[in-house]
Amino acid sequence: MKLITATPWGVYSVWWRHFQVYRSTWLVNCLPPVSEPVVYLLAFGYGLSPLIGEVDYLGQMIPYARFLAPGMIAIGVLFQSFFEGAYSSFIRLNFQKTWQALLTAPLSYTDVFLGDWVWAATKGSIAGTITGLVAVLANLYDLSSLVLSLPLIVLGSLLFGAFGLLVAGAVNKVDQVNVPIFLVIIPMFTLCGTYFPRDTLPPLLAKFAAFLPLASLVDLLRWPLGLPPWWPLLLLWLIGWMVMMARLAALRIYPRLFS
Amino acid sequence: MSDALNLKAYDLWKTYGDEAVVQGISFSLAPGEIVGLLGPNGAGKTTTVGMLFGTVIPTKGFVQFGPWQLPGQGQLARAQMGIVTQEDNLDPDFTVFKNLTHFAHHYRITGAAARQRAGELLALVNLEHRAEAQVDELSGGMKRKLVLARALLNRPKIVFLDEPTTGLDPDARQDFWRLVQHLKASGCGILLTTHYMDEAQRLCDRLLLLQQGKVIDEGTPTDLVARVIGREVAEIEGVEAQILQDLAARYETWYRAFGSGHLISLPDRDPEVVWGAIAAHHPSRLLRRPANLEDVFLRLTGSVLE
Repeated sequence: MKLITATPWGVYSVWWRHFQVYRSTWLVNCLPPVSEPVVYLLAFGYGLSPLIGEVDYLGQMIPYARFLAPGMIAIGVLFQSFFEGAYSSFIRLNFQKTWQALLTAPLSYTDVFLGDWVWAATKGSIAGTITGLVAVLANLYDLSSLVLSLPLIVLGSLLFGAFGLLVAGAVNKVDQVNVPIFLVIIPMFTLCGTYFPRDTLPPLLAKFAAFLPLASLVDLLRWPLGLPPWWPLLLLWLIGWMVMMARLAALRIYPRLFS
Repeated sequence: MSDALNLKAYDLWKTYGDEAVVQGISFSLAPGEIVGLLGPNGAGKTTTVGMLFGTVIPTKGFVQFGPWQLPGQGQLARAQMGIVTQEDNLDPDFTVFKNLTHFAHHYRITGAAARQRAGELLALVNLEHRAEAQVDELSGGMKRKLVLARALLNRPKIVFLDEPTTGLDPDARQDFWRLVQHLKASGCGILLTTHYMDEAQRLCDRLLLLQQGKVIDEGTPTDLVARVIGREVAEIEGVEAQILQDLAARYETWYRAFGSGHLISLPDRDPEVVWGAIAAHHPSRLLRRPANLEDVFLRLTGSVLE
């Protein structure tokens, strides 16, 4: 694949096209990131808090709902960016032929790829931020902490958006998107320390969960409660995953457009 | 400036594995000229067009469009190109009007300028009354016209029309042809791929006849017909093939069995002699008609356009 120069306008223009679609149905689009964390926080926060009370996290006892909130932010990031990258990009690539239409304009492949990727990350970031605001309103996350966590939310959204694009480029039928959902997404969002500390898992399973990138994101988003001493490595781990996913996604989608 | 924006294809080749889909195609296209790629399905027309605007990477050869060379500078070249692809890739998420204004954004045409340009183009293609319709509500002909309007947003110097009227009814095709002629009159260079003989004959200044990825002949439609076939052809049924073959050999004309009958070209000089000789055998069906590109293709390739 030849590296074709991207232009800021080209990337922005592709992103802008997706934003216009989103804007036309903004109320519907805002519903999942608002309703999901509210439901989760109600169900798990109120439902499980009386049963669990406090959890032991990095040697200190934390109220369960405060432990849960950063996990909910990470899940909002994961779901919205991954599903936009996987399903929506697959549809734009294979059914609506949006990518093909964009490539008849003065846009390079890199423009279109980056525009789609940044858009998927935007949706993840919107979801993560809205979830964070819900947590702030519920007094489970400080507003100042949320502001400082925004770069993490963006990084996580870029990572899972790139993973979604990789899936969109790798599968041939839309139903096949379910395969990585069952093999990767569901294990990730259940085991990676979102709902409970990973050290309650059997050691081998805990290691596997820590290997998955959502674990690093959740650990970093939980920084107001404490950070493990090797946290810079977690950050590098996330960046490494993101670069690898984006590279693989670009390589998988390119041959679908250029022969 | 317009003279600098000639398009030249140099020895284009495209192979997929062992299969050579395009084999050494070279041609040029000048402003205000309509060049047609005429050939049956699978002749390599769409692959060739893809190489001209940069989505198909040539195995060998390149395209020069003004100062830009493709495939490397496709992004820059496309700023001056209008592309109507064979597949429908209009944006189902937007109305007819927004399909234009939002696509104009990619050319840095925004705001009031985009709305004005979209209005002009909808008027040009007679779709202003459907501006607020959803794309799915349009007929096939309307969709093709909207794709053409989208391709003209940037006032391109050259337009690629890949099988633009396939599947359209006769009225819609006539309407589309009117737009193509309007573009030509405005100085736009047009490359048209088609497998419709009448479309090629009516619109194109110059034709490249393609078969299995190769240019088998080229020229103006009139010259091709005159040079390869002549002025007239007779369609005959109910006469022995041998009789017609002998006639063709004697008068050095072209003969071919066709369907349940035969075709024979009438010599330009004194066609009445051959016509009379055929009629003397009292064929069950006998038709005398002007030669056309279908005959040219049949003579050159042995197959019909489909």
